Amino acid sequence: MKLTMEQKKIREGLCFILPGFLYMLIILGYPLVYNVILSFKNVNVRTFASGTDVFVGLQNYQELFANATFQLVLKNTFVFTFCCLIFQFSIGFLFALLFSKKFTLAGPIRGMILVGYMMPMSVTALLGKNMFDKSSGVINDLLMKIGLVSAPVDWLLQPGTAMAAVIAMNCWVGIPFNMLLLTSGLTGISTEVLESAEVDGANAWQRFWKITVPLMKPAILAVLMLGFIYTFKAFDLMYIMTSGGPLNSTDVLGTYAYNLSFTQYEFSKGSATAMILFAILFVIGLFYLRLIAKEDE
Amino acid sequence: MKKKLAALLLSAVVAASMLTACGGGSSESTSADNGAQESADAAEETTESTDTAVDQAVSTADIGEPNGGAEVTLWHYFEAESDALNAMIKDYNESQSEIYVVPTYVSREELMKQYTIGAVSGDLPDIGMVDSPDMASYISLGVFANIDEYLQGWGELDNFYDGPLASCMDSEGQLYGLPNNSNCLALLCNMEMLRAAGIEEAPTTWEEFEAACAATTDPDNGVYGFAMCAISNEEGTFQFIPWLYGAGGSVSDIDSAESVQAFSFLTGLVQNGYMSNEVVNWGQGDALNAWAAGKAAMVEAGTWMIAQNLDNEESIKNDVTWEYQFVPMPSENGNQATVIGGENFGVCSTSEHVEECAKFLMTMMSAQNNADWCEIAGKLPVRSDSVPLKDFWTADERYKVFNDSLNFAVARGPHAQWPTISEAIYTAEQASMLGQSTAEEAAAQAASVIDPILAETPILEQ
Repeated sequence: MKLTMEQKKIREGLCFILPGFLYMLIILGYPLVYNVILSFKNVNVRTFASGTDVFVGLQNYQELFANATFQLVLKNTFVFTFCCLIFQFSIGFLFALLFSKKFTLAGPIRGMILVGYMMPMSVTALLGKNMFDKSSGVINDLLMKIGLVSAPVDWLLQPGTAMAAVIAMNCWVGIPFNMLLLTSGLTGISTEVLESAEVDGANAWQRFWKITVPLMKPAILAVLMLGFIYTFKAFDLMYIMTSGGPLNSTDVLGTYAYNLSFTQYEFSKGSATAMILFAILFVIGLFYLRLIAKEDE
Repeated sequence: MKKKLAALLLSAVVAASMLTACGGGSSESTSADNGAQESADAAEETTESTDTAVDQAVSTADIGEPNGGAEVTLWHYFEAESDALNAMIKDYNESQSEIYVVPTYVSREELMKQYTIGAVSGDLPDIGMVDSPDMASYISLGVFANIDEYLQGWGELDNFYDGPLASCMDSEGQLYGLPNNSNCLALLCNMEMLRAAGIEEAPTTWEEFEAACAATTDPDNGVYGFAMCAISNEEGTFQFIPWLYGAGGSVSDIDSAESVQAFSFLTGLVQNGYMSNEVVNWGQGDALNAWAAGKAAMVEAGTWMIAQNLDNEESIKNDVTWEYQFVPMPSENGNQATVIGGENFGVCSTSEHVEECAKFLMTMMSAQNNADWCEIAGKLPVRSDSVPLKDFWTADERYKVFNDSLNFAVARGPHAQWPTISEAIYTAEQASMLGQSTAEEAAAQAASVIDPILAETPILEQ
């Protein structure tokens, strides 16, 4: 039988998709399915070897949501994410606007800001750990020298300030990331539109809100979504900088899941935590793709 | 509809890729490991808070020519001691031809993770080293093989100290390995600093200790009376146990008046400024470094610190220019206590040569070998008949303090859920020290975690 043109095309297309699809299936699909199953079982250090890993339905999830530490961790994750988003987006946007002006040294300075983004997160975290150190950290040293505080601040030793410190370190990476994406959005706006608005008598404020922001909407949404996803799944920053402490005050879903599985050997609870993290990101991801689809239409 | 489905799938993939990249909780997805993570976690019993450059390196050392026996792998995290280990393995490889032992260094954190992953995948060495309080968990996870029958036939088990041996047992008292070395904690005093503050003798009781703290604390120069480790990992619990049992408290009675006293005493040290609140972020090495920098008059120190740090020119040997003295942990109301630490070796359950490997362990832990080994490594023997073979633990005053302290040393666990118990203990200690809750509240919180666990499976009586 001779294949029609269309059938041939589909067959070709499948050939292109297949390698990627298989890769996804093995690398992402298998662990994901395994993780879902694990989260409905009761596998921990007591039941592991005896093989009594029976299905317990939603018990792990119920116990997690009833657990005060988990509630704190969930709250921490959202507080961390939203604070980071607010600061890194607004400051990143300001930088993007600033560097869209062609002034002397704009290039080199922008390059230097980007260094923070290019640094591996583990390095950033170690830097943060040292910079916020109570007795030998540069931040307390500076604050004392300029006389803002009289005694060293307990940065990583008190819950509130520890959270502020990890947010600050994450923004250090997040600001250049936001700046970079927003800059590319800005360059997409033709200068003619802005110039003609200026001729028509629109002031800078009006031009920003009525022209720049609406035209940048796709870029802004993309930055916020990606920022949310990257921030919400934070792990290495806390793991290295604070180990989630003090007293779980900087523990987020990622570090908590790791701790449950690899320190407490509560494999099913760890999986359930990872699934909750997944579910939240899934919803955000869905939202993101719908927005993209809408923009395309 | 089709489009919707595609979008759904796509977003699942987006979310999943985010998750796997961060290595959430699934034991599968985290097997791809991030080397940088290790560097953050200070290994117990090392002073440097970062790990060595090599995470895992097959030994190129001389371990004897292949003897025709089946090759068995041995994973350990000895660093300075690895030459001595290789020499012992070489002797064994040349003495028989059943197995050919090949040692591999794996950093401690990496090794712990490998056991957990190996429990699922079965990818384990034949013989593995493990920190003693962790062994019960790995036994429960099926990492180690039951070698009780081989060891019982050996006839030398009676010579082992009870505490270290018990850490190799499951809840029914079956043996899964042998202890290799012990250590415990004592008080290390800068005698010049104490004398300058008018204190002639190192403290022996909590009262004397607190007075010495008060006398030596000098806030103007950033000098504290005492430094310890109260970090949020096993090291923190390790350093807390001497105070808990010294007060007359215990893990199984963590909210008793005596136990609460341990929390409130240490919290008092912080509140009075005798001890920095930074101890909650200090590993044991960090606490020792503070002492070696002259920022603390006394420090809670471990046996291994003598060989690894005090006598090591690459460590703090040249910084410590003052006279120092080790004394047993101070006592309260006549209660004296310290904590026992150390490493065990077990045969992994996936090994095809369990009996031969068990034989190797018996040779490795013979009285003579254990004495030789612990002298080189600067640790305490796990066998009572090893001690008289050398005068190492009695001639050197420093080691003698530790060796004598073993008489009142308390083991952690053994309990399969020790990590959870341990977390409850160091969390309570931190909550109290940082003023987030009172000592009573902190102890009650710990009890709410520990008591149900012990009600289900009590700690094995030693």
